[in-house]
Amino acid sequence: MVRTGTRLAALSLALSMATLLVAHASPSAARTSQTSQTAQGAPQAEKRIVRLGATQSMDSMNPFLAVRVVSTSIHRWMYGFLTVPDSKTLKPGPDLAESWETSPDKLTWTFTMRAGATWSDGKPVTAQDAAWTFNKIMTDDGAKTANGPAVENFDTVTASDDRTLVIKTKKPQASMLELPIPIMPKHVWESVPDIGTYENEVYPAVGSGPYIAVEHKKNAYVRLKANPSYWRGAPAIDELHVIFYENPEAAIAGLKKGDIDWIGRLQGPQFEALAGDANITQWNTQGRRAAYLQFNPGAATADGEPIGDGHPALKDVRVRQAIHHAIDKKTLVEQAQNGLAVPADGSIIPPMYQEFFWKAEGEAAVTFDLAEANRILDEAGYAKGADGIRTMPEGGRKLEMRFSIHTDEPVEDKIAQYLTGWLKDIGIQLTTRRLDSNKFTEETGSTALYDIAISGWSVNPDPEEILATHLCSRRPTASGEGGGTESFFCDKEFERLYQEQLVELDRPARVKLIKQMQERLYTEAPVVAIYYPNNLEGYRKDRIASITPIPEDNGILYGGSSYWPVYTLRAVERAAAPAGSGSGIGTAVVVGVVVVLVLGAGGFLLMRRRRVSADDRE
Amino acid sequence: MLTSPQQVRDGAEEGGARRAVARYALVKLGGALLSIGLVIVATFFLFRLIPGDPAIAYTRDVPVTPEQLALLRRQLGLDRPLGAQFLDFVGRTLRLDLGTSYEYRRPVAELIGDRVGPTLLLVGTGLAVAVGLGMWQGTRAAWHHGGRFDRLSTGTALTLWSVPTFWLGLLLLMVLAAGIGPIPGLFPTRGMEDVDAPGGPLYLLHVAHHLVLPCLTLVAVVYAQYLLVMRSSLLEEIGQDYVTTARAKGLRDDDVRRRHAVPNALLPTVTLVFMQIGFVVGGAVSVEFVYSWPGLGLLFVEAIRGPDYAVMQGTFMLVCVAVIVMNTLADVVYHVLDPRVRSA
Amino acid sequence: MSTTARTRRRAALTRFRRQYARQRAGLYGVAILLVAVLAALLAPLLTDPSGMDVTRATGARMAPPSMDFPLGTDESGRSVALMLLWGARVSLLIGFMSALLSMVIGTVFGIAAGHFRGWVAAVLMRVTDWFLVLPALVLAMVLAAILGGSPFTIILAIGVTSWASTARLIRAQTLAVEARPYIERSRALGAGHWHVMTRHVLPNVAPLVLANTTLMVASAIVTESTLAFLGAGSGQVSWGTMLRGSYDWGAATSGAWWYVLPPGLCIIAVVLAFTLCGRALETVLNPRLRGAS
Repeated sequence: MVRTGTRLAALSLALSMATLLVAHASPSAARTSQTSQTAQGAPQAEKRIVRLGATQSMDSMNPFLAVRVVSTSIHRWMYGFLTVPDSKTLKPGPDLAESWETSPDKLTWTFTMRAGATWSDGKPVTAQDAAWTFNKIMTDDGAKTANGPAVENFDTVTASDDRTLVIKTKKPQASMLELPIPIMPKHVWESVPDIGTYENEVYPAVGSGPYIAVEHKKNAYVRLKANPSYWRGAPAIDELHVIFYENPEAAIAGLKKGDIDWIGRLQGPQFEALAGDANITQWNTQGRRAAYLQFNPGAATADGEPIGDGHPALKDVRVRQAIHHAIDKKTLVEQAQNGLAVPADGSIIPPMYQEFFWKAEGEAAVTFDLAEANRILDEAGYAKGADGIRTMPEGGRKLEMRFSIHTDEPVEDKIAQYLTGWLKDIGIQLTTRRLDSNKFTEETGSTALYDIAISGWSVNPDPEEILATHLCSRRPTASGEGGGTESFFCDKEFERLYQEQLVELDRPARVKLIKQMQERLYTEAPVVAIYYPNNLEGYRKDRIASITPIPEDNGILYGGSSYWPVYTLRAVERAAAPAGSGSGIGTAVVVGVVVVLVLGAGGFLLMRRRRVSADDRE
Repeated sequence: MLTSPQQVRDGAEEGGARRAVARYALVKLGGALLSIGLVIVATFFLFRLIPGDPAIAYTRDVPVTPEQLALLRRQLGLDRPLGAQFLDFVGRTLRLDLGTSYEYRRPVAELIGDRVGPTLLLVGTGLAVAVGLGMWQGTRAAWHHGGRFDRLSTGTALTLWSVPTFWLGLLLLMVLAAGIGPIPGLFPTRGMEDVDAPGGPLYLLHVAHHLVLPCLTLVAVVYAQYLLVMRSSLLEEIGQDYVTTARAKGLRDDDVRRRHAVPNALLPTVTLVFMQIGFVVGGAVSVEFVYSWPGLGLLFVEAIRGPDYAVMQGTFMLVCVAVIVMNTLADVVYHVLDPRVRSA
Repeated sequence: MSTTARTRRRAALTRFRRQYARQRAGLYGVAILLVAVLAALLAPLLTDPSGMDVTRATGARMAPPSMDFPLGTDESGRSVALMLLWGARVSLLIGFMSALLSMVIGTVFGIAAGHFRGWVAAVLMRVTDWFLVLPALVLAMVLAAILGGSPFTIILAIGVTSWASTARLIRAQTLAVEARPYIERSRALGAGHWHVMTRHVLPNVAPLVLANTTLMVASAIVTESTLAFLGAGSGQVSWGTMLRGSYDWGAATSGAWWYVLPPGLCIIAVVLAFTLCGRALETVLNPRLRGAS
């Protein structure tokens, strides 16, 4: 039996190993070629490598398609943009465009492209490349996936010569200098037959950013090399590896152990687990995200036809304000975010954007006050019934509402647990509905089948987009197609302010208008901001010598809209024990372990054999 | 569920009808094709139960005009009657066109192709080790029935069988990969390979190193059933007259076991191995998730969380079909091998 | 019912009890189960459910075990021990109900497939075989994802995917029972399908169904926890959702063993207990196995 079992096991093992060999024949070939490349440059010193952990994997290497944070970040490191946020002020600064000007009617933008910038294959970066990129997105539906909306307002884009790019827009567009679109090399991409299905798995990739992707092992890692011909000069490290984890707990274990050097976008619990580790720097700064509740304010389509089944009480701004009073934001920060967020006294723009940030002060501020909430509801005529649940003033319908959250989101679950408790105290019965993100988007964005829902937004340096999500025109069409509303809000005053700021190119005046819009959102309360989660990251001090955040004062390392942090990365120089021999030691240990196991197994079998023959002798 | 040896034997005996092997294989093949057809039908209707408009689901996060949506509906065939949609679905599936992933914007068949290798490696190795371990321990436990080894091995196996796979995986990850207190982290914390993976034969070692913990987790949870079935079918054989006769003839104990009892007891176990492949695949889903193992299970969990219906649908069908094919193969091979069936 | 029948039944019961008492592992199983079921039933009498409401939790977040909280607290300062007690209710309920559902489907399919002949049996067996080989967990995940998360849908998802092996077992037993002469006699006397199936076959397969259901509860509890971990939770506090919570809130990496270990150990204990009971029942009730353990 032992033999049969062993034989079976050996056979299956051999089979699986064969599978493995076949499955990896091509990648290992690729690896060999890379090894030979490195072998050519072998005499040089120890490579400076930084390994970044990410808790998602690449959705696509094609920037026209990629939408995940990890992918757009890597693409920001691989490709130049027209403009990039200034590392200190976050105001738009030059990148591939050196300078720009607008026509008096604010409809024509002329960009002067950088002289001397080259693609990593040596060809110069020209206005033709930029024009090709924008035109491709404007004309090819397949290329619209990632950044279609950003060019919606474009009329024409032309390159009048190699260094001059002219963009004509249909309406004035203030966010023109924060286009989220990487400029792609025309000479490489022109020949791609169908952008919408192209994978862009060609290495080394041709780019113009500080790093070049040289290898992508799907669902495992991306290997980036410093771009020696980068126009600012090559970064100070040789390689940047981005390593994908599916399991955030494993990623934290990996950071503590040294399998990775840096990880961003942490949740509170994972961040706290890093505390007390002498080798790890905990990075806790203001974040760019706002978390808020959406109330169904009597949803309607863009034409004003009522849709959905929102609770009628929520049409009453007093009910919305009363609920606002029943939210203890400090406790939510404490409990749902491990204290690692800022309770929101303002609206949907987080305090990280000091310039645009607005918050309610003094009398205007809504505080956690259940008595006040009860008073407002009593006064408004929503009387409590025998069961403690209020009814509509005209009687009949009880204040029983649904709270829509996403499935598989522990933080939202926690918020739901607290909110249910507090609203019970003010006579509103809340039941939690967990929806997958498809249904959630559909029910809170187009069909309006919700009462209260949770949402959030990662705000860009220019807040235009988040403000636009509360416009009348963003409400769905009559046939139910969503326009991207975050609240079904439709308010004359808000619309007026929006249109004014859109054409106001004087920055302080525009900032003032944007603050007024936030105040309007705060008092009308179609949405109520709960908190602004901090940006939580961690990195190993013994591997990363220094890294500059964006903005440089107290900013973000991973996931911001700039390559600045990875560009300024410096690895700890290691003289004594180079990493290469470290992995050599690792391999040696493995070989040792395997040898011991094999010997042990052999010895065991031998012993059994002897015992068996002893049995036989009886 | 823990399958009792009797169930396995009942299943096996039904196959024992006295028919020519070829005819038997044909019948089984027909049954398998019917099962696969059933999978395709079930998948179609199961995924039509999902409320909401697939076109809107497909374009979430991307503002689209009503015209674009109408075009997409036409492309997805949503404007046609259900019967036509069904025929279309069957046709596509048979051509291995499983649709396009929302998340990756790539054909589902391609995505699955990327993931099959790692899952085969994990499930194959895990199954081999679990079957080997289960058979060995089961044999020993039955031969020394009631002894210390018997009680210890059966108890351990049953206890491990009761452990939720993901929980065991997380614990092993925390102790053996991350390291706790004096225990250093011996194994990698994620995946099947690292950036600095060596080439050539060392690559196999590199992958093997990554495979240890996922495989250990999978084996620990599934090997109990092989042990139990091997043990009880061998016990039954030991009670048979021929074993007593063989012993009485003065054959060595070891020979009686190896030449007579074990080969006869082996068949129910082999049947179980294939009958329970679905169970092992289920275990692999949790294991892949915990260890970021880039296989089908991980793709499936990701697709459910997305949700990415095309991927869910494709992975589901593939796994079901694979399990059905394995079972049919096992049925036929079993029929060829079973001495009782052959001699008849 | 005649006195002899009653006496015979009582004698059978006594014999069963005596034989079961000889199964030591089975007795351990029963003891563990009694404790678990009692704890679950008494939880509302002994403890205050308001401790489960996060807004009324009194402890610090993730505090280690202390006098007030014998098993420490969770991420919202709720007592882990209290949650274990209340979680037992949901875990056991889902386990029992889905095993019950699976037992009903399996018994109906099994008896029908064994009783009828021809194409009915063929179709029933084809469907059974189909469910038998399909990866149950994968199918349950798809069902849970489509139906949404509530205790009812989880019970449905587990029950619908796990009945096939019961059906096979019951079918084999039904075939054996129907081969007995007295069935033929009763048919000759004019008994219909329904009468034969419910009066003769069902009582004879019932013991086997019982043993099988016990084993089924064990796997249903494990499946519930796995579904909860992979994101298809019931939305109620169960041992599975507690494990998911400990994972979500980083209990393992921050060293909060009191939150990670107890729910897992409870699952192991109860699942093992059900398995031991099921095996003991099988041994007692199934003469073919009696020699074999």
